[in-house]
Amino acid sequence: MDVLLHLENLSLSFDTPEGEVQAVRGVDLTVKKGEILAIVGESGCGKTVMCQSVMKLLPGNARIASGKIIVDGTDITNYSEKEMRSLRGTTFSMIFQDPMATLNPTMPIGKQITEAIHQHRNVSNDEAKSRALELLELIGIEDPVHRYDLQPHFFSGGMRQRCVLAIALASNPKIIFADEPTTALDVTVQAKMLNLLLEIRDKTGVAIVFVSHDLGVVARIADRVAVMYAGKIVEIGTVEEIFYDPRHPYTWGLMQALPSLAKDGQPLKSIPGMPPVLLKPPKGDAFAERNEYAMKIDYELMPPMFQITPTHNAATWLLDERAPKIQSPFCLNQENKNQ
Amino acid sequence: MSNGADILQNKRWSMIFRQHPLLEKILNNLLILVGSIFVLSIIVFVFARLSPGDPLLAFYGDALEFMGPAELDAARARLGLDGPIYIQYIHWLANAATGNFGLSLQYKIPAMDVISPLIVNTLILGITGYILVFTLAILVAIGCALHEDGLFDRIACQLGTMIYFIPAFWLGLCLVLIFSINLNWLPSSGAYDFGMSGNLVNRIEHLILPLTIMIGSHIWYYAYMIRNKLLDENRKDYVLLAKAKGLSKSEIIWKHSLRNVAPTIINLMAISIPHVLSGTAIAEAVFNYPGIGNMAVIAAKYHDYNLLMLLVLISGSIVIIASIVAYSINEVVDPRMKDTGVTVWEK
Repeated sequence: MDVLLHLENLSLSFDTPEGEVQAVRGVDLTVKKGEILAIVGESGCGKTVMCQSVMKLLPGNARIASGKIIVDGTDITNYSEKEMRSLRGTTFSMIFQDPMATLNPTMPIGKQITEAIHQHRNVSNDEAKSRALELLELIGIEDPVHRYDLQPHFFSGGMRQRCVLAIALASNPKIIFADEPTTALDVTVQAKMLNLLLEIRDKTGVAIVFVSHDLGVVARIADRVAVMYAGKIVEIGTVEEIFYDPRHPYTWGLMQALPSLAKDGQPLKSIPGMPPVLLKPPKGDAFAERNEYAMKIDYELMPPMFQITPTHNAATWLLDERAPKIQSPFCLNQENKNQ
Repeated sequence: MSNGADILQNKRWSMIFRQHPLLEKILNNLLILVGSIFVLSIIVFVFARLSPGDPLLAFYGDALEFMGPAELDAARARLGLDGPIYIQYIHWLANAATGNFGLSLQYKIPAMDVISPLIVNTLILGITGYILVFTLAILVAIGCALHEDGLFDRIACQLGTMIYFIPAFWLGLCLVLIFSINLNWLPSSGAYDFGMSGNLVNRIEHLILPLTIMIGSHIWYYAYMIRNKLLDENRKDYVLLAKAKGLSKSEIIWKHSLRNVAPTIINLMAISIPHVLSGTAIAEAVFNYPGIGNMAVIAAKYHDYNLLMLLVLISGSIVIIASIVAYSINEVVDPRMKDTGVTVWEK
């Protein structure tokens, strides 16, 4: 498959009065055409920042410290605001966590969609309107002709999130960054939204970078999964590899913390401690402090990415041939597979 | 359902209301207006009479010293200043209802005649100043929001803070010194030169300095408030979505943020009317501009009750009407504030 987006050793920092916060630290990542890549991790691990940095939507105190962002073979790392504007909407667009806040409350839905269409294409108002109605149809809004002129407060949360998706799709982007698009929705609406995203991917061939902390949702939608911790990708692989054969202790911890996979009668496991403050990230493995399998080397040296299969990589010293062999405490057997 | 319908519980009226909700709304607002003015008049009436000082001094001046107690009592009775306050008030109200607002104690002519030539002058100064203050404030705010923490933003905010704290009368005197006395470009007082009340250029020349201090002392406060509102708005998610669509910063401000802060700006404009009105009073006093603001200060000083009541009623009506208008405009700008009553999907 063609590589659409390639992040090469990307580091991103925020300059704050307290010092430099290293929110993303040397991420290597590729997104292929038409795939759904899920990025999972705790709050504050840099998932959102990484996505917004690709679209350069971050506030003024954020800067790319090192690395490259390559889109469709073009290096856009040093693109100006004006050049970025021509890419936003057409090459990538974004949907956000809170559908209640992402639509302009005073502007009719239809106008918010046509605005996105007009931005990149020189079309008449009627053409834009018919395209907007087409989009509303595509995302499953019933009676779009009536609803076209309504303000967002007439819509439910799920419908608003669909409208945001319609706006994101308006100029046929190649990648959609979906930043926890289902977190603020209730469970039944969540399932519909996930199905819709899969359907849209199949219909339009758009790649989706799906940011989430909900492993259940990720298992359902993703083709590949990247696990992030403290601004780094610690494990990446296909969805089967991550769920059936996780290698990083952090991934083990995340899986064990899933209530639906907990064993009956036993207390739910959690990962002890807190993620490190990224003002001064630790020297070695950032996860070492919370890792019950940590070795001395984990405090000294950052682990490189070890390849397990051509698609599966993990950054932990446990995979080094000199390390003691540890059996994964977590095993998702065939019984659980159907959950 | 509402005040208007309650008071006029006539069947025919309620039928008309049901068919014309706008009529009901206007009637409601009219009742609010009359009610507030009524309460306001009581408060001002009582407070004016409670404040120490003798209104007869305004009427008779130094002659007061040579009047005996009997003469004084007779004068009070003649001027309607005798008896308990509530009787005085009822008398005043009965007269006011017929359009008779009494004599100005100081000028010894009907209060209405004292004020009517001044109202136009104040309206010219007030309305021009008001429009200019807010137009410029919005423009400065947009400029600041576009270049947040940039050079323009910093200069506007810091210079603004400094100018805002310079007293308006002092600034006015400095302007007179520079532009009227030293440079002799602009007149230092009045609304127009003698016999030139219809001359537009002459009027504008007289307006420049008063307008300058009105704008200089009001604009920064409002510009800063609107700037902060715009920046708050710019941090919201829908602005991020607009940015993700490919819109530029200025497109976002003009098309999205400004519309969403419009209710705030309109409210600000409505509640600032008394503020700007008091600003005309200072400008009028410094430049000896013949207007009602200046007159209100004089009326209060000399216990010219009838004149004061009339002035308060006029400015009070302006403030109340302005806030009613502001609320109505808000409903149009922000449809969420409108009480639609029925849903759109109802059959």
